[in-house]
Amino acid sequence: MLSNFVANLMFYVLAVVAIFFAIAVVCSSRILRAAVYLMCLLATSAGFYLLLGAEFLAGVQILVYVGGIVVLLVFAIMLTRSAEMPEDKPSLLRQSLGSLAAGGFFAVTVTMFRFSDFPALQKGVLAGGDTAEIGRRLLNRGAHGYLLPFEVISLLLLSVAIGGIVLARKLHPKGGE
Amino acid sequence: MQQCFATHFPGVVLWLKCFAMHSPGVFHWLVLSTLLFSIGIYGVLTRRNAVGILMAVELLLNSGALNFVVFDRYVAPGVVDGEIMAIFIIAVAAAEVVAGMAIFVTLFRNRKTVDVTSMDMMKH
Repeated sequence: MLSNFVANLMFYVLAVVAIFFAIAVVCSSRILRAAVYLMCLLATSAGFYLLLGAEFLAGVQILVYVGGIVVLLVFAIMLTRSAEMPEDKPSLLRQSLGSLAAGGFFAVTVTMFRFSDFPALQKGVLAGGDTAEIGRRLLNRGAHGYLLPFEVISLLLLSVAIGGIVLARKLHPKGGE
Repeated sequence: MQQCFATHFPGVVLWLKCFAMHSPGVFHWLVLSTLLFSIGIYGVLTRRNAVGILMAVELLLNSGALNFVVFDRYVAPGVVDGEIMAIFIIAVAAAEVVAGMAIFVTLFRNRKTVDVTSMDMMKH
């Protein structure tokens, strides 16, 4: 009962914090602050994964998202000098269209959840700590293995790294070529 | 929480007891990730800076990954398919940010701006 209470409390506290940071990310007029808010939001998201019993995923989230992706975004902000000019507020038309689309999506989806009863759900089973199983599945060549997608993802990362270098390098460094 | 609050509205102790008995269910998680997704949609539609749009896309990807983990937990707890999908989503997000950053840096070098409302070269 106490652990249920703590899990409930953690869920609501983390949810409120995450929603606050998400709104701050999309509404902040200073883009560098938005990046910091995004970092906090992704850390909160790692908390959600911990709450769901996916410890390995929480670690990956912190390592890749908070440690890698946010740093890359800050680099992008610095290299495009976006931090120097604060973005003016979007026009009223854009704002209303954006909130209409977002609110419409939210209303339709939540109504759909409300009126569907998810027959495949199992009740309250939260087994955690299956990191070894993730490793076994990722490197398994059998019917339930994910070795091929794993290799394709590594190929994707390699090609993106090469493509990023090709796109972002300086052309004609000495006026030649 | 809504059911607890509605059934035991005046009695705070009963409400707290009910709150302690039920851990968050799949509906709560889904509403949370839908809310984060719609905030991301708002960001994609209203931001003018391209890097800001990239951040809003990160929000969308993150809520999608959260959904995968939630269904992994509540549909097939012993099988880790949903978690593996979430790992793939994180990897694809990293790749997307690298490609986006390279494009924006090149764009900034050529046009001195990353404002998406002024990217209308292909119209003319």
